Order: sequence, then C-alpha cells, then structure tokens
Amino acid sequence: MNNIALGRYIPLNSPIHHLDPRTKIIGLILMMIAIFIPAGWFGYLLVGTAVFILTLLAKLKLSFLWRSMKPMLFMLVFLLVINLFIVREGDLWFSIGPFPIYSGAVFQTLYIVVRLMLMIVLTTVLTATTKPLELTLGIEDLLGPLKVIHVPAHEIAMMISIALRFIPTLIEETQRIMKAQASRGVDLEEGSFKEKVMAILSLIVPLFVSAFQHADDLANAMEARGYVPDQLRTRYKQLVMRGVDFLTLAVAVVLMVALIMMAWVL
Amino acid sequence: MPITFEKLSHEYHPDTPFAYLALDGIDLSIAEGKMTAIIGSTGSGKSTLVQHLNALLLPSGGSVTVLDRTITAGDKPKQLKELRKRVGLVFQFPEYQLFEETVAQDIAFGPKNFGMSEEEALAKAREMLAFVGLEESHLERSPFELSGGQKRRVAIAGILAMDPDVLVLDEPAAGLDPQGAKEMMSLFVKLNREYHKTVLIVTHDMEHVLRYCDDVVVVDHGHIVQTADTATFFRDTELLHQLRINPPAVIRLREALCANGFVLSDQLLEMEELAAAVAQAVKHHE
Repeated sequence: MNNIALGRYIPLNSPIHHLDPRTKIIGLILMMIAIFIPAGWFGYLLVGTAVFILTLLAKLKLSFLWRSMKPMLFMLVFLLVINLFIVREGDLWFSIGPFPIYSGAVFQTLYIVVRLMLMIVLTTVLTATTKPLELTLGIEDLLGPLKVIHVPAHEIAMMISIALRFIPTLIEETQRIMKAQASRGVDLEEGSFKEKVMAILSLIVPLFVSAFQHADDLANAMEARGYVPDQLRTRYKQLVMRGVDFLTLAVAVVLMVALIMMAWVL
Repeated sequence: MPITFEKLSHEYHPDTPFAYLALDGIDLSIAEGKMTAIIGSTGSGKSTLVQHLNALLLPSGGSVTVLDRTITAGDKPKQLKELRKRVGLVFQFPEYQLFEETVAQDIAFGPKNFGMSEEEALAKAREMLAFVGLEESHLERSPFELSGGQKRRVAIAGILAMDPDVLVLDEPAAGLDPQGAKEMMSLFVKLNREYHKTVLIVTHDMEHVLRYCDDVVVVDHGHIVQTADTATFFRDTELLHQLRINPPAVIRLREALCANGFVLSDQLLEMEELAAAVAQAVKHHE
C-alpha cells in the first residue's frame, strides 16, 4: 500500500515542476497524439528520445518510473500474448505448438508495448511533477471556454480536486482500519473463504462509514464558508504562462508535426 | 520483564524520497503488571512504538520482546495470532473499527477470530459489555445507532473480550467529556489492579498520568528521554519544563506557592495533602 507510485506527486525542484500546469496538460495531449501516429521505428525513436529527455529534465529516477509501470505490467503481458497469437500478417516466422507466429504480429505487438510504456511514462511525468491542486486549476482553465455551452468547468475541477485530495486520506484510513482489525485477529492472507469474506467486510464497512462521514463533514465545512458552486470566484494562485511554457508547447507541436510528416512520407 | 525493546528503530517508507526514521535506538523495559503511561508530543513516535507490541509494525533495526516472543529486524514472522491475542491493542478512536450488525456480534468478532466458539464468544460479549458499563439491552442493537462514547466502550469491550494479558491503549480518553474520561480510566485501573493486566496507555493528559499510572515513559523525536515512576517523574520540574509538559494542577499550584515564599515538600502529589501542608504552614506562621 505504501509503495503506490502511480499518480504520486514527487516534490522536486526541476524545470518541469515549474512549468504551467496548462502547458503540461496540452503538452501531454500533443505528445500522446505523436505516440499514436504510426511513423515506424524511427518515429518511435524520436518520441522515445523526447520522453527520455523529459524524464531527465524532471529529475525522476528510473526506479520510480519502473514502479509506476509495475501495476500495468500484467496488462502489457496480456496484450502481448493475445496479439502475438491473433495477428496473422506478414511472413510466417515459426510456430509455438499449434500456434503460428507471423512477423507482422511480432512487430505490431512491439509497437503496442512501446506505445503503452511511453504513455505511462508521460502521464507519470505529468502527475509526478504537478501538484494535484495545480492540475485541477489547469483543467478548470482549459475547460473554461466550454462554459459557453454550459459545461460546469468549475464543478468538474472541484470534484476532481476533492477526489484527488481524499485518495491519501482514504489510503491512510484503510491502513488504520486494517491494523485495528488485525489486532482483533483478522488475517487477510490465511484462513478459509468464509473467514476471508468476513475479513474484507470488516475492512469495507468501516471504510464506507468513514468515507460518508468525511463527505458530510466536508460538505458542511464548505457550506459554512459560503461555498456556492456556480458563483464567480477569485483565486489566490494565478496561473501565468511564461516564455518557457510557450517554448515547451512549440517543441511539442514541432514534434507532433514532424511525426505526422514522417507518417505521410511512409 | 514481559516487554523489552533493544536498540529498536523503525523507518517508514525506506528507500523512497518519503523515508522517515520514526524511532531511533529505543532501549526500554516495561514492567509486568503495572500501568505505564507513554507520553510525548504529536509525532514523537509513541504510536509507532506501541504498534511494535503486537507486530503490526516490524522493527527496521534492533528487536522487541513481548511475552517470550522476540521479533528481530529482518524477521518475517508467521503465526502472529497468538501474540495478537495476548496483546490487545486499542487504537485511537477505536469506534471506527465497528462493522457488525449487532453490538454482541462485534464484541464477539475478536474472540471468534482467535478460535473461541460462537456461544462462548457471545457469552464473553455479554460479560464485557457489562464490564465497560453498558446495559445488556444494547447487545442486540446496531453499533451505528450508539453515541460516540458508547461506540468507544463497545470497541474497547471487543478487545477486552479477547482476554489479553497486555492491554495497550492509544489515547483511549481523547475526545470524551471529563466524566466519560474518568470512567474510562477507572476501567483500566480496575483491569490492572483486579485482573492483573499489564496496561500501557498513550496519553496527553498529565492529570491522568499522575492519578492513575505507576510508571512514565517519555518519547521525544524517536528517542526515549525518560523512564521513571510517576512520583519521581513529576518531581523533576526542570525536565517537565524542558519537555514543554504542562504539569498537573497540584504541581503547578505547589510551584506557585513555593515561588511566593512557602516551603513545601516535593513529595506532595495529592491535592488534599497539599492543602493540609499549606494549612499547617499558615498555622505555623501565625
């Protein structure tokens, strides 16, 4: 539980940390598009290098990135196996038992794995370098123009930020209840099926009770301070785009355009 | 000595940027059959310390011995049920651990986990509910209908029903009204004096320490700074000031009197004794 790396903010002092959250969100979207453009191995090499430089700039350790990827490993392996056996394009290379393996399958599988890994690293860079609160401010600002067509941008951002805010609280709460129940002889690893169901119940019921309690308290606290959802609000922290931000976006756009051109040529 | 810590240290989130050494080289013995207070400011490591007693946390360095069971750093101990049955740990705000449909079922949950039959466990639940001072009519009610103080009693009854030899309580009186807190503490005194349980209480309330506890252990920044019996501990006013501990009212009063010219023995730890001594001093002066 303590080792959840996925989506965790890492407080460091790097140029990526100091970028405007909006830059990082748009940059992420542009890079994602770049990753999904089929521009062959050279294209992946280009995007891969860009992502690698990004992680260096963000001062993130390889071990951390690896841990973020771990929860996704199972899915990666699953996709890999399924693809290898199902895709039947290109030349027949060899067979494993009754299953023929084609060259097209191998390449396509590798493409998918590389894509997924790049995506995971990119999103990890975003969440590891941006405080949850900044992230929601960024999302709110980016959704701002949609207010014209009655998209509740502020409410969406507030909900996301509350959800993010309570993830660590609920993890802490879960650990606390687990320990309290372990003290009463609950053993989540050993025991019969019935005991395991009981063990999970003894964890989930108190967790729900306290989650509702938190929600209730928070709603009261917000109302007590005069919170009205669709009212115009000012902000203490103003987001400002600086030169670096525009430069970063320009690089991301160039990268995406370059990949589109490469795909075109292919 | 049922409980000894030897050079015990505990680090949270080792090998990450969040690594934090909560306990550092703890050497400590806690006497059997006594009521010991563990005090220290928030974040000093008290809770981390007590969670080693039933192996909820395992040492990062050193070892801890509880009731003949020694757990050394690096061990991956199995069969902890025996230890957890014998060391009952009541967390802070234990009312949040209730989950069963009825109070009786919830109290019986622990004993059943430790192998007691349904009937025995329910009989034990009935007995313990009475012990914590709740009426039998509560047995078939849902624990979620009870008041905060009643919930806490039920949660504590749930631990007592396991019949532990050592009872560890993390701020059991926090958030209770003075009367409720007093009743709660009397309960633990009864367990200690009449049932001869070793009781450890983590607390911030110096009045409780003075009134109910035999020994005091002071934890500060992950170190043990003092272990003494209660009377000796409260006599060392210098240390109390140094630790920013607000002494109990008796001691504050005695100090104020001494500062204004009274000569009073530092053995005086009861309000009545102090009053008598003051009366005598006044009479003598006249």
